[in-house]
Amino acid sequence: MVNVKRKKSNMESRGDKYFHIGVIILMTLFALIVLYPLWFMVIASVSNPDSVLNGEVWLWPDTIDFSGYVKIFNDPAIWTGYKNTILYTVIGTTLNIILTIPAGYALSRPNLPYRKYIMWFFIITMFFGGGLIPFYFLISSLGLIDSFWVLIIPQGLSVWNMFMVKAYYESNVSLELIEAAQMDGANQFRTFWSVILPISKPIIAVMILFYAVGRWNSYFDAMVFIRSENLYPLQIVLRNILIVNDNASGGITGEDIYERLRLANQIKYGVIIVSSLPIIMIYPLVQRFFKEGFLVGSFK
Amino acid sequence: MKKWFSFITVALLATGLAACNSTPSGPTKTLDELGYNVNGLPIVTEEVEYTIISPKNALALDYNDMDIFKTMFEDTNVKINWNNLSEETFQTTKQMIIQDTRNLPDAMYHAGFSDRDIIQYSAAGTIIALDEYLDNMPNFKRILDARPDIKKVITAPDGHIYALPRVEEMGLLQHPNILFINKEWVNYLSDNSLLSLNGQPMTVSIEGGNLEATSTEADIQLKPLTIKVNNQVVNGFTFEQYEVILKAMKDNASLLTSANLIPLTFRFGGWQGNQSDLYAAFGVPENIDHLTVLNNEVTFTAVMEQYKQATNFFAGWIEDGLIEKDVLTQGEFDFLAKGKGTAPRLGSFYWWEKETVIKPEWQDQYVALPPLIGPNGQQAVGVSNNQEISKGNFVVFSKAQNPEILLTWIDRFYDPTISAQINYGPIGIAYEEELNADGLLVQKPIPSGMTADELRLKNAPMGVIYLSYEQWAETLVMEYRARLRLELLDVYIKPYVMENVQQLPNVSFTLSEMNTINRYGTDIYSYVYQSTTGWLLEGGVSDSAWNTYVNKLNQMKLNDMVEAYQTAYDRYE
Amino acid sequence: MTETLKNKKTKSYTQYGVKRNWQLLAMLSGAIVFTAVFAYIPMYGVLIAFQEYNPALGIGGSPYIGLDNFTRFFESYQFSNLMINTFLVSFLGFIIGFPLPIIIALLLNTLRSTRMKGIFQTIFNAPHFISVVVLVGMLFLFFGEYGLINSLVLQFGGERISFFLESDWFRPLFIGSGNWQETGWSSIIYLAALAGVDPQLHEAAKIDGASRFKRILHIDFPAIFPTISIILILSVGSLLSVGYEKVLLMQTGTNLSTSEIISTYVYKIGLTGFTEPGYAAAIGLFNSLINVVLLIIANYSAKKFSENSLW
Repeated sequence: MVNVKRKKSNMESRGDKYFHIGVIILMTLFALIVLYPLWFMVIASVSNPDSVLNGEVWLWPDTIDFSGYVKIFNDPAIWTGYKNTILYTVIGTTLNIILTIPAGYALSRPNLPYRKYIMWFFIITMFFGGGLIPFYFLISSLGLIDSFWVLIIPQGLSVWNMFMVKAYYESNVSLELIEAAQMDGANQFRTFWSVILPISKPIIAVMILFYAVGRWNSYFDAMVFIRSENLYPLQIVLRNILIVNDNASGGITGEDIYERLRLANQIKYGVIIVSSLPIIMIYPLVQRFFKEGFLVGSFK
Repeated sequence: MKKWFSFITVALLATGLAACNSTPSGPTKTLDELGYNVNGLPIVTEEVEYTIISPKNALALDYNDMDIFKTMFEDTNVKINWNNLSEETFQTTKQMIIQDTRNLPDAMYHAGFSDRDIIQYSAAGTIIALDEYLDNMPNFKRILDARPDIKKVITAPDGHIYALPRVEEMGLLQHPNILFINKEWVNYLSDNSLLSLNGQPMTVSIEGGNLEATSTEADIQLKPLTIKVNNQVVNGFTFEQYEVILKAMKDNASLLTSANLIPLTFRFGGWQGNQSDLYAAFGVPENIDHLTVLNNEVTFTAVMEQYKQATNFFAGWIEDGLIEKDVLTQGEFDFLAKGKGTAPRLGSFYWWEKETVIKPEWQDQYVALPPLIGPNGQQAVGVSNNQEISKGNFVVFSKAQNPEILLTWIDRFYDPTISAQINYGPIGIAYEEELNADGLLVQKPIPSGMTADELRLKNAPMGVIYLSYEQWAETLVMEYRARLRLELLDVYIKPYVMENVQQLPNVSFTLSEMNTINRYGTDIYSYVYQSTTGWLLEGGVSDSAWNTYVNKLNQMKLNDMVEAYQTAYDRYE
Repeated sequence: MTETLKNKKTKSYTQYGVKRNWQLLAMLSGAIVFTAVFAYIPMYGVLIAFQEYNPALGIGGSPYIGLDNFTRFFESYQFSNLMINTFLVSFLGFIIGFPLPIIIALLLNTLRSTRMKGIFQTIFNAPHFISVVVLVGMLFLFFGEYGLINSLVLQFGGERISFFLESDWFRPLFIGSGNWQETGWSSIIYLAALAGVDPQLHEAAKIDGASRFKRILHIDFPAIFPTISIILILSVGSLLSVGYEKVLLMQTGTNLSTSEIISTYVYKIGLTGFTEPGYAAAIGLFNSLINVVLLIIANYSAKKFSENSLW
């Protein structure tokens, strides 16, 4: 495939060349718009928060002060947080993939029995829910409150994601493919396993990305159901470091209150960087799978 | 269809399971068997255990690890199993924790029970009435006898007391605002003939106001403030004069500072440093609830004629750039940062105190001012509704065995020496072991590497305490910052409180009153907020627009809401 | 790409029915059980909308008040304002935010160097990870009275704009920052679908002399059309579900006329220390009902104009 591409590249017309350049310029423009605030966060995380808030820091940091980062990483809870979040994410995402991919495939088949009812079964849950109160009692009666598994199991399926998988299979799985497999005597499980899965790399990669990122960034379920500090995921730990100046907790001196606020304001940017850098780095790995595409023509 | 039925069955089953009570364990011992003893220690000869659930600050130790509780266990022989969770988790799940009867603890601390919670839960029998156990709580009983006002506040409409209060009376909360001005700038402008009123030059001098050189932590001495306008000593600035000063600051900003100068700032609607005192100069006994007690009548200030006048006046100041627009949007930290940075920016501001706002090296440039003198010559302030007696701090659930023991245990919190430790930290960590010359507890110096704040939050659970006005002379020394502020308030604020104006006490409401207040209050307050901020931004409100506004508020049942407050207040008096 | 499966019926596929296809159901069993447990069991909570909910009595014990919670909402003086604001901010956001990721995906896909593609994508994805609190904090900094944008405006001779105080600016700021944050991330799903496009099709088209633009139009776009449809339908079905967090942070007294939406209103009801789960649930239920209607309409239209629909 690649060699064929190279040979033909000299056939690219002039119009296409301009198009190409235009695209690069456009993308670079977008990238700059996106980058500036990100750059700002980086410099703000090492600058003096007073200067930042007084509008004195825009392009360069005014000092390089890592005390915010020091504070973040000195908190022993951070490392437990990282460990827990990694565990929740890896195990949880595995569960997600197992539940979502076969289901999405099955939904894409027109010969699925009761297809319409099943679709509605799922769609309704996207709109109607009982709210937090009954959900809390369900979790409680399952004995999951303040347990390790409460951040893995109840988030096992996203109907939205499942529909994405369905859409993917609907546009990328041709009839001929299935027929060919069936003529070879494969049943549906076999077809799925040997024929469909190998060509599912892009969608599986995307699902891993979506679910993993969703879990990595989530904090609500942990906030509601987790009480033991050794089970806290990263986001909760970071949130606790940030939450300051609650009047009910009271500080003693004015300067102290100010110091806390100040550190919080410097930390809030650092916290984002600390928590998202690992996961952003995953993206390039995932992106490799997009390149693989799939071999439609393999059976021809 | 079949699927639906099975789902519903499962659902009901699950609800049933969730609602099931767990059977209690073996037979309970009586008080005598446990060697219960109300007065003196230990409270029981045989160890007894209770579970208490409580939110805690993120910086605090687990309550099971706190020294103060370890000591209490040794003294009383009552073991408390603390179940801590974060404050945010607690807020979100409190209702459900209480409903989860299988895992219900014996009591709840930092419970934050609103009047409504108390009425609903007492009606359902979830919490017990504490007034029936007064004989088991000698300290609490003594407090109720000595302070009928506290008793009134915490008694529910059905005559019982269901939750323990927290009392910390410093005399500070009622006045969360003080006006501070950069006196150096004012003096500079005056010396350089940059001030003129109605075409005539004006001289202003502000002297004094900061601490005397001989002031110590134990003995605070403030220099008296002398304000002279055109060489005459005055008691404060009139609006006209103040406007001149602000304008001059703005026009000559480059002479005064290299940064973006802000003549006057505060936080509109903020808990502290808000606009109430500015409005008060027009005769509005204002606070951020727009609700106060005037001549024993509950009054809603946002419909007063003077409120309109004040709004129109200040809209002018905003338009002229004398009050910055950020007052309507800035968060606390945004506000506080403005007093720091590379060069001073603030000409004047309202806040709780100046130490939080202004950088240490510029502190002495700023001094407190008495309230501004309004167009009718009135120099007055209102009162905020911040309460020093807070309710609903501790409740006991009906499942608790031998609640007498638990209540005697918590009653110890009301012993002033223990209150002091609950609030600030144990003796030995927060306080010196030895009392000072006056027989009072005195705070220990902070160990290095820690702020006072961190020390307190880590070691002090706070919560149920009784630190009434007398305690500062009988039990412990009030912290320096608080004493300093009291001095300032005594000079600059308290003498000016409007006559016949009081704060709305922490009255107890009936369920129907609460429903009324809540149902109408949300929309009413939203409308008032939207309208007022809009007018301030758009240069003021016309008479016709004002009338429309008042009529609309009446349509929104404003009167019913105020009525509800009034009835509750009358019941209290 | 070959025809979709809905139209073709060959001999192996005319076999519908459970006996032949039970294995497909088996593949769905995990998802179905999961949904039944975690989504359907708690659904009885919907009843709260019809109750005067008393936490001391719980769902089982609270008294029923029929549609009172609903009528209270309809009669609230803010009702029409809330509906309009929610709809407008969502719809306008949708009109801009929906095509943008598609365009980005289509354009990015044309780049040959995977390295460049990767770098751009990583950059575009980064904003997604910024928490809402920090995002709005930065907005206040950049667009505040003394912020960067105003300094630029002043430099070009203009007057300071109070972006946060003027109600007209709320929607552009809200939508614009949302696009900034989510466009890159939303384009991922389209890029994945594009990855499935057979490169031979592009080769064939090139040989036929088609320009890059034409190829995008006739090869890439149809390839991701099913994905686009589904996302379109689902987005229409969540039109009224704008979350409260970001809006609440951006609200000021003076922009409430455009910034007060359903979810912030519901949130504030709980703020006065007096949570009213019944009222909040009723509003939420009403919200959901409208969303369902919109979804049905969207799906119906999709069926009529294309072959791709949700069901």
